[in-house]
Amino acid sequence: MPLLLHGLAPIHWAAAGAGISGVTLALVFLANKRLGISTGFEDVCSLVLRTPYFARNAIVRGRTWRLPFLSGLVLGGVLSAVLSGGWQPTWALGMLDARLHLSHGAKLAWMFTGGLFIGLGTRMAGGCTSGHGIFGLSNFEWPSLVSTISFMIGGIVTTQLLYRVLLP
Amino acid sequence: MSTATPILYVVLGTIFGYILSRSGAADYDYIQGMFLFERFQLYGIIGTAVVLTAPVLWLVRRRGRTLGGAPIRIERKLLHRGNIVGGALFGIGWSIAGMCPGPVLVNIGEGKVYAVAALAGALAGTALFGRLYTVLQGPLRLPPIVAGTGEG
Repeated sequence: MPLLLHGLAPIHWAAAGAGISGVTLALVFLANKRLGISTGFEDVCSLVLRTPYFARNAIVRGRTWRLPFLSGLVLGGVLSAVLSGGWQPTWALGMLDARLHLSHGAKLAWMFTGGLFIGLGTRMAGGCTSGHGIFGLSNFEWPSLVSTISFMIGGIVTTQLLYRVLLP
Repeated sequence: MSTATPILYVVLGTIFGYILSRSGAADYDYIQGMFLFERFQLYGIIGTAVVLTAPVLWLVRRRGRTLGGAPIRIERKLLHRGNIVGGALFGIGWSIAGMCPGPVLVNIGEGKVYAVAALAGALAGTALFGRLYTVLQGPLRLPPIVAGTGEG
């Protein structure tokens, strides 16, 4: 199945997994950091909000590495698009477009809603796919196993409901 | 501690983002395919990453030092009810948006306009959680506010 991005064929899962492992271990060996993206959302919040939760040491000190790392993720996406046929804005949503004809505004509302769950959920669980699913599981941490099982169930139930029941 | 520069983090983030972009991890259809059990790709990616990373981290916990010579110190997370409730909420969001936190940023980079709304939502959700922390702390048995739910 081609990617939404320029209809590209995806790289092999084993190569992608090995690359992600390489980045994870480079963070450990070069910088003593545990991979984790969603804490970066707290770093961003801490720039503008005075809430005590965002004034924690781990957050304020983490900004110096997480914010550059997060900007790298955006850059990686830009680079990937530029190198594969050029950067251009798109609203394409594959399977969702095939079932629902959402206006641009409706897509923004859909995504904002998804984002709310992502932000609230990842911070409540203390991590996301990277921090729990990759780093935490690799480090044999119980909270990460519990969180990973929980978010996989949450995703499976929601997608199955959406694509097999509501929009078959 | 580390003497690594911001440039290093930008470079590592860029490599990570590029891989997420080209592997399907930042692709709406591949995420739904994973949750529908129709695509192995994402299971393969996460599984390979864990299988390759785990033995190295196991060794590191015993005798690890960074390249700079500092002892490797990996903070472990605390178990609480937020792992279950927050995990389930995040899973719902991952399904709706078709992206988890890293790919939200990657998709913005790729030019998927709607990902900007996902980022706005994620930041709003994070802010909401920060504001509600003391309220949720009791029912979810969350760690003290100085520790937070964990870095990840």
